[in-house]
Amino acid sequence: MAIYSGEEATQEHLLEVTKGCAVAAAKAPTLTNSLGLRMEIVTGEDLNPIIDVLETFGQTSTFQMHDAVAFKSMAEKGVLPPILLMGADLCNPVLWDCGACGFPTCGEYIKFVSRNKGIGIGAYGPSCVWKVIDFGMAADYACAAAAMHRVEARIMFSIGAVSMFLGHLEGASFVLGLPVGPVGLNNWFDRESWVNAFNYQQRTMGQLAGGPNLSMAFSGGGYPIIKTKPNWWENPTFMKVEQDEEFLQKDAEGKAKVFEKIMKYRGVLPEDE
Amino acid sequence: MSRIHIEEWPPYTPSEQAKKDNVLLAAKLMTNAALTAPFTGGVGGIEAEIAYGQKELEYIAREMERLANHEVPERLKKPFLYEAVMVRESDVVVFIGNYRAHSTPMDAACGLCGGEQDCSFVYNKVKHLNGIIDTTDRQRTTAIKGPLCTLRAHDVGYAVGSALWIASTLFVDAKPCYSVGLAGRNLDFCMKSEVVVGILVGAMAKNPYADIPTDYHLTNMAKQIDAVRKISIITRQMANHPYHRFDPSKPKGSKDKKKKED
Repeated sequence: MAIYSGEEATQEHLLEVTKGCAVAAAKAPTLTNSLGLRMEIVTGEDLNPIIDVLETFGQTSTFQMHDAVAFKSMAEKGVLPPILLMGADLCNPVLWDCGACGFPTCGEYIKFVSRNKGIGIGAYGPSCVWKVIDFGMAADYACAAAAMHRVEARIMFSIGAVSMFLGHLEGASFVLGLPVGPVGLNNWFDRESWVNAFNYQQRTMGQLAGGPNLSMAFSGGGYPIIKTKPNWWENPTFMKVEQDEEFLQKDAEGKAKVFEKIMKYRGVLPEDE
Repeated sequence: MSRIHIEEWPPYTPSEQAKKDNVLLAAKLMTNAALTAPFTGGVGGIEAEIAYGQKELEYIAREMERLANHEVPERLKKPFLYEAVMVRESDVVVFIGNYRAHSTPMDAACGLCGGEQDCSFVYNKVKHLNGIIDTTDRQRTTAIKGPLCTLRAHDVGYAVGSALWIASTLFVDAKPCYSVGLAGRNLDFCMKSEVVVGILVGAMAKNPYADIPTDYHLTNMAKQIDAVRKISIITRQMANHPYHRFDPSKPKGSKDKKKKED
């Protein structure tokens, strides 16, 4: 007989659910029958480098900062969930000559990939579209398994990409991360940890940048006022489209900082004293 | 009092039709699950369409057979022909497409489509006005008109995955197929989408989508049953007899002989 702490027992149980998610992902149906799914579960302190690099990425990218802040807050509270990493080599075509990738045949695709395989902000390409769809099914099965266990989870590009850069699932061209937990309700929606990230005005301006039409006054004059304050007609504001060298510079410097950090974690560059 | 008798055989009888109606309900729930799957950025871009009824399914199977014989690479010929058989054995076909992959990319520079730090790989190959893609020219030189936003195509996986999860939870058999999706799209199912997956859905004692013998397009059960009909009609004519007064299983004259002995 024993009494278990609810907090500790449920936190421990998350690892079992994560394993269940991995089993479900492996059982996901495929179209190509040749996905080659690979998985890894990362927990506790082993997540620190991933969160650290994600935060550095976040200096110039809000969605990455959004996740980094959440993970940091969970780490501080001691409720960091296990993360299921899923990956596959999607640059290995299924040989259907379908054309979806943009090449007329898989042969042409292979010729191109063998010389020009490259990487974007978080994945290698070009990819075989059908392998990418199969990979989506596997990821979806992992998500569904977590949902069936009534465990919070959120499939993440951000954490998967950083893990891939840090050498997890070597050989995969695309990696996704699925934090399975924390225990509780709506940890990944309406995030508490995001409360102090931006002030009211910053949030309002973010919404404006994402959907300026909502705040646009009469456009018939050809130069519409953008309503940014209660008395918007006084000292009116307008939208201007221009190149932003300052941001581009900041973005480039941010990326350089990220890759320096990755090189240090991977042992290519010496770590800071 | 009303009764609904349900049986999985023979196909398209009232009892089997009652089962098909049940599978249709499952298929409808599958499409709902497809719409609520996790998507990139939470942005919806999925459409679904259901094909139901003997003739609808036959059209799809025939288009797959046309593709098998005239369009797809040799290595896909038999899979397409086999899956056409599976379409005829299915109760329902669910199509799931993504209408954004070819028209409204995620524009996130993810790298999946071309391994670039931007989305130039797609935009350099499609017709567009300052990033607004013109999809009005639908003529194709390949089965799928690529390139696509691969991150949006990835979303199709989640939609199909969730649909299949529901099928599995309801214990109906389901199988996602490239062949079915391509044929369905050619027949204007999910017509807003360039990339479409077809899901076969059926409820039978034996999963109709597994344990497939060789040359299945010629050796499947429908062919075997048809062969029985074809051969047994001839055979009965060869083995005919005046059954009112003659039973060939008894030795000839055995009845008269027995009477004499008495």
